[in-house]
Amino acid sequence: MYSIELLNGLLCKKEEWIKAYRLRKFEEFEKLPVPSWKRLKLENFSIPDFKEYRKEFLKNDIDGEGIFVKDINDVSALDEFKEYIDVQKSFGISDKFVTLGEAFYNSGVVIKAASKLKEPVRISYSLDNENSVVIDHNIIVAERDSEITVVIDYSSLSENEEYMNFFHNGVTKVYAADKAVVNIVKVQRMSNSAYHFDSNVAFIGREAKVNWISVEIGSGISATSFITNLEKTASESSLKSIYFGDGESRIDMQYTMNHIGMRSISNIETRGALKDKARKVFRGNLDFKKGARKAKGEEAEYALLLDPTVKADAIPVLFCAEDDVQGNHAASAGQIDENQLFYLMSRGFNEKEAKKLIVEASFKPIIDSIPVEDIKESINLEIHRRLVYV
Amino acid sequence: MEKGKTYVEDIDRGIYDIKNEVRYSFKTEKGLTPEIVKAISREKNEPEWMTEFRLKSLEIYNSKPVPTWGADLSDLDIENIVTYIRPDTDMKSSWDEVPEDIKKTFDLLGIPKAEQESLAGVGAQYDSEVVYHNMREDLIKKGVVYTDMETAVREYEEIVRKHFMKLVPPTDHKFAALHGAVWSGGSFVYVPEGVVVDIPLQSYFRLNAPGAGQFEHTLIILEKGAKLHFIEGCSAPKHSVNNLHAGCVELFVNEGARLRYSTIENWSRNIYNLNTKRAVVERNGIIEWVSGSFGSKVSMLYPMSILKGEGARAEFTGITFASKGQYLDTGAKVVHAAPYTTSTINSKSISKDGGHAFYRGLLRVAPNAHHCKSTVSCESLMLDNKSKSDTLPIIELGNDNIDIGHEAKIGRISDEAIFYLMSRGISEEEAKAMIVRGFVEPIAKELPLEYAVEMNNLIKLELEGAIG
Repeated sequence: MYSIELLNGLLCKKEEWIKAYRLRKFEEFEKLPVPSWKRLKLENFSIPDFKEYRKEFLKNDIDGEGIFVKDINDVSALDEFKEYIDVQKSFGISDKFVTLGEAFYNSGVVIKAASKLKEPVRISYSLDNENSVVIDHNIIVAERDSEITVVIDYSSLSENEEYMNFFHNGVTKVYAADKAVVNIVKVQRMSNSAYHFDSNVAFIGREAKVNWISVEIGSGISATSFITNLEKTASESSLKSIYFGDGESRIDMQYTMNHIGMRSISNIETRGALKDKARKVFRGNLDFKKGARKAKGEEAEYALLLDPTVKADAIPVLFCAEDDVQGNHAASAGQIDENQLFYLMSRGFNEKEAKKLIVEASFKPIIDSIPVEDIKESINLEIHRRLVYV
Repeated sequence: MEKGKTYVEDIDRGIYDIKNEVRYSFKTEKGLTPEIVKAISREKNEPEWMTEFRLKSLEIYNSKPVPTWGADLSDLDIENIVTYIRPDTDMKSSWDEVPEDIKKTFDLLGIPKAEQESLAGVGAQYDSEVVYHNMREDLIKKGVVYTDMETAVREYEEIVRKHFMKLVPPTDHKFAALHGAVWSGGSFVYVPEGVVVDIPLQSYFRLNAPGAGQFEHTLIILEKGAKLHFIEGCSAPKHSVNNLHAGCVELFVNEGARLRYSTIENWSRNIYNLNTKRAVVERNGIIEWVSGSFGSKVSMLYPMSILKGEGARAEFTGITFASKGQYLDTGAKVVHAAPYTTSTINSKSISKDGGHAFYRGLLRVAPNAHHCKSTVSCESLMLDNKSKSDTLPIIELGNDNIDIGHEAKIGRISDEAIFYLMSRGISEEEAKAMIVRGFVEPIAKELPLEYAVEMNNLIKLELEGAIG
């Protein structure tokens, strides 16, 4: 149970302000009910019990000149992040899960970049029977003119080694100061017995950029939210995502671009495929606030439906309170194009192979933009494995 | 007797704003009780099942909460809306017998002229009851029925009982329940198998008394292979009390039948327009909606097409123009419930002068509805920086064998386009007006001529003073 006793246990030896912060988040958490989600069919969900995550998740040690990377539980690390830890606006998949992450995190990183860094920071969680719960809280700050890439990978024991109730609940806060560039890659490839809840929020300065890549190819229930605030003049953000649903998996994606600054630019591109009885909900929101003159936003979603039993919902929303903007959204869904299929089959592929190729080809541009070779490889393998039964 | 006050609140919208002195033969107390509902039913000499239906709807109404999504309805004081006001005229069969002041208002709206020229029938609803009704002889001979709902309940009781609020049950939402309890007036059209009505039937609704709600019910049934174009237009004078319009439209399109339902709605700017429209389309039938929303303070209107038979088709063409003080939440809903069904939704909205246009749509494909096709396109144009424009289409797909496309665009008139037109010698104002006219053209051309003219005039009036 997520009780005050548990929290007090976690908070011993922590700094006072951090204690106060987490206790405040706990109070909020306690008041909120566990949400019911109509489209994901999440009802009477009981949050799996707290466990420590004891494995090493920081994969490369690049702490040094111009970069600061630490485990969030490292007591000495947090003072510098005091002003970034609290987000005033509500964000994420639901306040319940966000406050859960903020009060009870068992892992996560704090990162501060001061210069342009070539090598990506790699964080990797691999859930198993002893470490079946990951509640991570990440704060990523890029100072003026800096550049950083962070790759976070969530995987678990494979389907064969039976385990239920893998649980990931994450909160990630990203701050890009003027002219900074932040690339965040999130890969989720846990087994279908896992629950995956992930809340992300970004604040972007003048002429700064935040580029998200989200890969959702696992979990029985996956709910992700990326809220990007393009706060200043010429703030820029792109979000590229792929998803793959099979079995009875249910995927809910919420991507919001809040255009506040003048000449801010955003782009959302989502490609996915569904088979068996999988279900997905795509929510793409472009919100042009008043004053966001000459802002541009685009969103596009393409869904490939591989079986008659899938369900695909899309809610692409445009809010517009400023006339001098350009907003476009497009969504399409359907089966694999017969001409493409026919062409490949005329070249000697059987139908299954041809379908596989087409799905993989549609994902390729997004997977290719991931800067870490072995993760790219794992994603390709995972998609390949899941596509075997097309 | 006062001859009618002229309210000029906009440049030339005046003709819609002539208020007549309010005369009643019967008027309910403010607020809603079973006694009022019974009184309405008694006054109309209704069969018992209808009285029962009204009372049951009232119960549902009292048990349902006011919807919290969409428009802000907190200003709408439902208790203070007089639900039933009947003008002190009985049904007239000849235009000459209609009272002078009422007639004059309709004259200004151009109804009798339209009838003389081309229209097959005119049903003009004045407040809650239809005051004037007429239909061309040859259509009557073919068995086409076009009458007011009250008469239909008495004379075509079996048909009405079979269809009335079966498509929009009172349990649907609070205002559908309210409608079920207090409905009054409206049109009933029945077109027998194979009959093609070659000229449009038209009805003009009108609200007059201050604080009066309007709850007209439209029921149209097209039998196999029948064809009809029905036009509904609305206009109301402005009063200081908030007015509610909670009408209901139920359309039954049977096998191979084709129905076009056109609306140009221009309620005055204090009306809450909470209308429910729904059509069910059987095998190979076609429903076409043409919808223009210009008036009202708040609109929540989402005509729904249920494609129930294989090969059924729905088309929706809509334009929404939100101006100062208006919140127009409009859109279209389509449910593909059978294989090989097709739908096309084409929605345009313009917002200006602080107006807020909101497109809200739903496209649902049932698991068994394979081989269906749908395209949804929403375009919004903002004419200034005070206005708002939002788009929220929901797409729910229940199987894989489909072809769905959705597109939406938001923006303003591009400076390049204006510059180009100005370089050709056109003034800036005229250039902007031209672009707006071009924007709404696809909808204007779907309308009968006189409505297209009316719509263009409305747009012209709206743009004057706004641009430049």
